[in-house]
Amino acid sequence: MLNRGTLLYISQRLVLIVFTVFAVSSVVFLGIHRLPGDALFNEHLHGTQYQLLLHHYGLDRPLWDQYTSFLSGLFLHGNLGESLVNRGVPITPLVLRELTVSAEVGLFALLFTIGLGMLLGVVAAIRQNTWVDYVLSTTSVIGYSMPSFVIATFLLLVFAVWLDNFTQGTFYFQIGWTGRFGTIGEIWLPAFALGFPYASIVARLTRASMLEVIRQDYIRTARAKGVRETVIMVRHALRNALIPVITILGPLVIGIITGGVIIENIFGIPGLGKEFANSILNRDYNIVIGVFTMYAAMVGLANLGVDLLYVVIDPRIRY
Amino acid sequence: MPTPILQVKDLHTEFLTDGGVVKAVDGVSFDLYPGESIGIVGESGSGKSITALSILRLVPDPGRVVSGQVLFHDQDLLQISGEEIREIRGRDIAMIFQDPQSSLNPVLRTGFQVDEAMLAHGKSRAEAHARTIELLKQVRIPAAESRAKDFPHQLSGGMRQRAMIAMGLANAPSILIADEPTTALDVTVQAQILELLGDLNRDLGTAIVMITHNMGVVAGLCSRVLVMYAGEIVEQGPVEQIFENPQHPYTWSLLRSIPRVDALRHERLRSIEGLAPDLLHPPAGCRFHPRCPFRIEKCFTDEPRLQEVAPDQLAACWVTMGRARKEMGADDLIDIRPGAGSGVRKGELTD
Amino acid sequence: MATSVTYPVPGPGPAPALGTAGFKAPAQASLWSDAWRRLRRNRMALISSVYLVLLVAVALVAIVHTPYSYREVGVATPYSGPSWAHWFGADILGRDVLSRLMVGAQISLIVGVGTQVFVVAVGVPIGLLAGYYKGWIDSVVSFIINVFYGIPDLLVAMILLLLLGPSLNNIIIAIVATRWMDMTRLVRGQTLALREREYIEAARSSGAKPAKILFGHILPNSLGPIIVQATFGVPAAILFEAFLSFLGIGVQPPTPSWGSMAAEGLAAIRIAPHMVIAPSIALSLTLMAFNFLGDGLRDALDPRQKR
Repeated sequence: MLNRGTLLYISQRLVLIVFTVFAVSSVVFLGIHRLPGDALFNEHLHGTQYQLLLHHYGLDRPLWDQYTSFLSGLFLHGNLGESLVNRGVPITPLVLRELTVSAEVGLFALLFTIGLGMLLGVVAAIRQNTWVDYVLSTTSVIGYSMPSFVIATFLLLVFAVWLDNFTQGTFYFQIGWTGRFGTIGEIWLPAFALGFPYASIVARLTRASMLEVIRQDYIRTARAKGVRETVIMVRHALRNALIPVITILGPLVIGIITGGVIIENIFGIPGLGKEFANSILNRDYNIVIGVFTMYAAMVGLANLGVDLLYVVIDPRIRY
Repeated sequence: MPTPILQVKDLHTEFLTDGGVVKAVDGVSFDLYPGESIGIVGESGSGKSITALSILRLVPDPGRVVSGQVLFHDQDLLQISGEEIREIRGRDIAMIFQDPQSSLNPVLRTGFQVDEAMLAHGKSRAEAHARTIELLKQVRIPAAESRAKDFPHQLSGGMRQRAMIAMGLANAPSILIADEPTTALDVTVQAQILELLGDLNRDLGTAIVMITHNMGVVAGLCSRVLVMYAGEIVEQGPVEQIFENPQHPYTWSLLRSIPRVDALRHERLRSIEGLAPDLLHPPAGCRFHPRCPFRIEKCFTDEPRLQEVAPDQLAACWVTMGRARKEMGADDLIDIRPGAGSGVRKGELTD
Repeated sequence: MATSVTYPVPGPGPAPALGTAGFKAPAQASLWSDAWRRLRRNRMALISSVYLVLLVAVALVAIVHTPYSYREVGVATPYSGPSWAHWFGADILGRDVLSRLMVGAQISLIVGVGTQVFVVAVGVPIGLLAGYYKGWIDSVVSFIINVFYGIPDLLVAMILLLLLGPSLNNIIIAIVATRWMDMTRLVRGQTLALREREYIEAARSSGAKPAKILFGHILPNSLGPIIVQATFGVPAAILFEAFLSFLGIGVQPPTPSWGSMAAEGLAAIRIAPHMVIAPSIALSLTLMAFNFLGDGLRDALDPRQKR
């Protein structure tokens, strides 16, 4: 599996990722620095203080200079600079810390999405045209039609407002984030809200794919061999039905990242998404550049991971 | 007289479609003796595959076996429980299918799929694996150990079909049903597979039910043949007899329609007139009558039953070829047995 | 149609063409009339269409009349719930929620449909050119698409809005800038496939100019998937705008967007849940309607459907 072709492919992709990060961060960097006025405009500072600040951030240097030092800082040292709004806060550690938070919620959401989605999809396929199937199909359309903040709102209403009113306090759900890794009570609701629309899509896709797989000749062969029906479903059908699901895994991950921006804002989770939104509102350009660069890298790696997953699942695919 | 290991009695299988009920198998009966190899011949839609699937209760939706008996070792396979039939499948009666490309799971290794036939019936992984290698060698797959680790798409068509045969024979079943196993293969590979099946039939004593539309396949492999049309058996008997002296006009037409390499230049290809029967609304009377050159009035209204027309040969026809030749000026019979001389014989009948 | 029975004639003779008895060829139907027929039978798509027509009507009415001014502060008690005077209650500043919803409908529809119009106007020609001429145009286009394939569109849009400043026009620009690539990829794929068909070659060899081939043959045949993609693009754009406004980078106050209304409502969820429920339901219903319609269109336009 891990042959020369695959290794070559991986290295090609990594090069492409580096290039993409470079291109993307450059575009953002240059775009931002061509803005009329400058980053510190909001501060209403004058005179020497202003000049000092400009100098501190290197904003008084020619654009090309700033650009090269940005690039070298990024690629050679992993240094993303310093926050414009919050003086003296280095961006890289901040971003990395928030990355783990976002990744945690995102991962739970992903597991939920795929796990629940596939389970429901399989059930709907096996019980095709029964009421189970009908209910699940309708729910899934509703599921992916509702924006994640609507679902989050609904969940908040149920758990934080109504149930809270009954149970006087925390019904195993809290807003906010404790410590480094959060607590289950803080994670499960945002992860659910984040994953629900995508779980619906996965369910629909799994159902359609299972239905097609069940009609295949090799399923008939397995039955003719005397293999038990449950074993057939899991060993034969499911693995083949997985393949289309993996296809959408890439856009799915991107969707979870995007949705995370909203969800983190609603639930007050100190992740990358919240940081990004805040820095846009506050015009903290350095953070904007830093977070965006991080996102570009993350997404590139996620896509690569998905493509490699293909190789594991479907032996017909080799690079 | 040995007792048959399989007795199919008056089997009826129907499909409930939007347009109505399709009687895919409409009263089929036959016996299978131990170690015998019989052929079931017919065009697409004749019901031959469904007959085979009905035996193992593998008929897909919206199909249903509605009546009849399938007796195997004194058990009616149509009446036993789901778990019991599952036990029999792959162990006592095995079935292999037409297109080995689609009949094998593309994401599982070939060797494993052969193992699976044994794992499903209680063998351990180690036992199954060892036996798989043996089997692959028996079906003449070279480099069996490394082939077992390959995926189906890495094997050639012929090898895939051999692997399927290995899968079928894994538990030494008494009956192997082969549904058009060579149709999707090259002609030369076809010959090899048929030879293999013949050898296995002889050496292992496994009874073979060969389903095909190709008379040549039957001629090479089987001792008895059943000819099916529109869900019914229209003729059955020993292979040589049927080939030499087919009594049912359909069988006769089939044999005539096989192009011959030594036919005279000006001979036209002979086909069977008309279209395949509509199984939703089968013709009244004899189902073949719309396409039959020798029909009489009775054929339009009364359905003929299988009758003995020669020792051990049954045909369902009011007229039969004997009478057609004598009274109705049927064209000459052309002997198509392998090796039966060259040239077309005019004005002579082979009796 | 009864079959006539011919009585037997000895000897070979042509058998009646039994299979053709009672067979009527269907009246000639074009892809469009077929599709229309199928769409009409899809209940959810019909219901969705009705809803959308009503929505458009409401949005149009809102141009000239809303129960109260959408920006007038204090026409009702702040946070008050639904009542006869104010069907959907009032928001944090005492503005009438229903009126704001109606104007919000305008925003959503303008963004939704407007972006797709531009996406089609930009994406389709580029896709056609890239797919037809291949060569360097295709290399450049494919390269751009591949590089930006993974970048989350929401984030790019946010940055664009940061650079351009939030306004309705800029939102449309931002959304189009991030979404044109999907349409281009679709059209390019269609073009690549279609250009190999024989009738294209026939047209080419009879001297037809490329423009004629592109617009006269290839485009009409790709129209189905383009329409479906655009129909699904509308709710995606509406959702996009809602997200942006929710975060505060979209439409600016006092202009109401369902997204920003939801954000305000969320802050007050414990005391005035109606503030967040109203725009949420409006959004959900609208998105659902477009999705069902898109589903229906896709099934109707699929030439491989059996009925």
